[in-house]
Amino acid sequence: MIELRNATKVFPDGTRAVDGVSLSIGEGEFCILLGPSGCGKTTTLKMINRLVPMTSGEIFVGGREIRGLRVTELRRRIGYAIQEIGLFPHMTVAENIVTVPRLLGWSKGRRRQRASELLELLGLTPTRDFLDRFPSELSGGQRQRVGVARALGADPSILLMDEPFGAIDPITRERLQDEFLRIQREIRKTVVFVTHDIHEAVNLGDRIALMRSGRLVQFATPALLLAQPADDFAKGFVGADRSLKALRLTRVRDVMDPKPPFVGLDEGLESALRLMREHKVTFLPVVDGEGRFVGWVGAADLERRGGTVRERLTAYAVLGAPDMPLNEALALMFESAVGNLAVTDGDRRLIGLVTFNRLFVFLQQNYEKTAPEEVAS
Amino acid sequence: MTRHVAFYALLAILLGLTGWMTSLGRVGFFTMAPPAKLVAAVAEHLEIVWIAELLAIAAGVPIGFSLSRRSVRYVAPIISGAASVGQTVPTLALVGIFSVLIGLGLKAAVIALFVYTILPIVRNTYAGLASVDPAMKEAARGMGMSRWQVVRRVEFPLALPVIMAGIRTSTVLNVGSAAVAGMIGAGGLGEIIMTGVSVRVVELVLQGAAPTAALAIVLDRLLEAVTTWATPRGLRVPQHEQGT
Repeated sequence: MIELRNATKVFPDGTRAVDGVSLSIGEGEFCILLGPSGCGKTTTLKMINRLVPMTSGEIFVGGREIRGLRVTELRRRIGYAIQEIGLFPHMTVAENIVTVPRLLGWSKGRRRQRASELLELLGLTPTRDFLDRFPSELSGGQRQRVGVARALGADPSILLMDEPFGAIDPITRERLQDEFLRIQREIRKTVVFVTHDIHEAVNLGDRIALMRSGRLVQFATPALLLAQPADDFAKGFVGADRSLKALRLTRVRDVMDPKPPFVGLDEGLESALRLMREHKVTFLPVVDGEGRFVGWVGAADLERRGGTVRERLTAYAVLGAPDMPLNEALALMFESAVGNLAVTDGDRRLIGLVTFNRLFVFLQQNYEKTAPEEVAS
Repeated sequence: MTRHVAFYALLAILLGLTGWMTSLGRVGFFTMAPPAKLVAAVAEHLEIVWIAELLAIAAGVPIGFSLSRRSVRYVAPIISGAASVGQTVPTLALVGIFSVLIGLGLKAAVIALFVYTILPIVRNTYAGLASVDPAMKEAARGMGMSRWQVVRRVEFPLALPVIMAGIRTSTVLNVGSAAVAGMIGAGGLGEIIMTGVSVRVVELVLQGAAPTAALAIVLDRLLEAVTTWATPRGLRVPQHEQGT
């Protein structure tokens, strides 16, 4: 959908703001341009809609070289969202949103309807009063949403977003990110998104292009970027806690023991004890006759011999789902007295088990590969 | 509220003074301007102001606009600065110079006033357009507006309050300057004032001066209303703050 070939921007003062960047972004892909300030990420973005003219190289949008298109036409086909400052203060919410449809000559009725549709998509109620408000009458979060709605105005297949959530508080920002992901799943635009925030990048992106001094350092999925940073700069930028950041990218199903040990409610305590020794665990999941998870039995409860598991059961309601991100799973494990997480399907049937040990081994395998070098340097 | 009271009180005093002076009819050997002549003088006065102002807007706004373009960004502050300096030249001097160059009469007066009036308009148009946030202009271009669409839909609406302020200032200045123009035989209320000064009749001076002042404050009021009307609602002080 978007392809950059050796895109280069040299400013009149000789600064090579963007230096031979080549990127290929597929249709419906959410691509993040990430890097510290001054790394050329915003310049790269602005080269795509020709706000910054390229010095050399080529950029293709939808298969056509951008300099072969009329510049206004190119821009009207690409949604553009910037920090909240970009809303026109002298135009109402509705007028702002349909800026591009108006340029394209849509009728008044159709524009009004489009504005309502988009507000609804972004979780705002399109009352008459709201449509006719001015940006100065909105909260920061509302302004941001209107900014995104405006970028979607004429339903472009491509969105360029320059830190659109940059100027708001972290809590609202995270909520907007999640909402935007939900919307993106629905509308499947090709998105190029500039940010300097690694969390935002990991949270939103399908792929991340990490830049430094105008050059592309690494272009990879968030998981890969965190697991195998290409060089010291990348390693430093993703942060020392990259393994923790990776938790939210990994699902429970990738870590859980898919054939966990368990005991039936009516089995004897001896067999429970045997299983615990065998698997070196202190808690064992307990299932009923239909294989449904009902709780735990712990080693401490087994001091007195004799009887069945049912008598020593600790009923426990906290369950993990296979699609749960690991950071949530970890939080549940910390909160529970058991320290393990039973993974169940929709019918509460036990399908897996996550233990701290498994988590630790998994993270070590994936994120500690570069550790010896770190020690050496 | 206090402003309203002050405005109407002042206006009442000025108009009352005008009426009183006119009703005197004669002072010693001298005849006051009869009502018909006074009305004609006000009309003439307004004509001078009006023509000079329109010409100044017609020329000043485009000049201010040109100055705000990127291509002249190094010269613009110099010209804008010159315009500010130009404004310190007294009206009297300017009117004098033009009366010598062009000859006495309406034409010289209008040209002198035009030159004087155009300065605040050029300066404010330039300042208003230059103060529009570049990020705003870039956002407009980034969404596919042509150069002129950016000017028309974004830059001018945002600069309008400042441009209007320039027009308002220049109009009020103009009413005063037009009185000076009476000295070079351009007619208007200045002529009544000049006559009064030359024969040393205070009442006659007042008969011309009071309506001049009234005219200035009324026009100022009128243009204030026009400015408010022309300012997009979103640029006025927000009426209420909204929470999330």
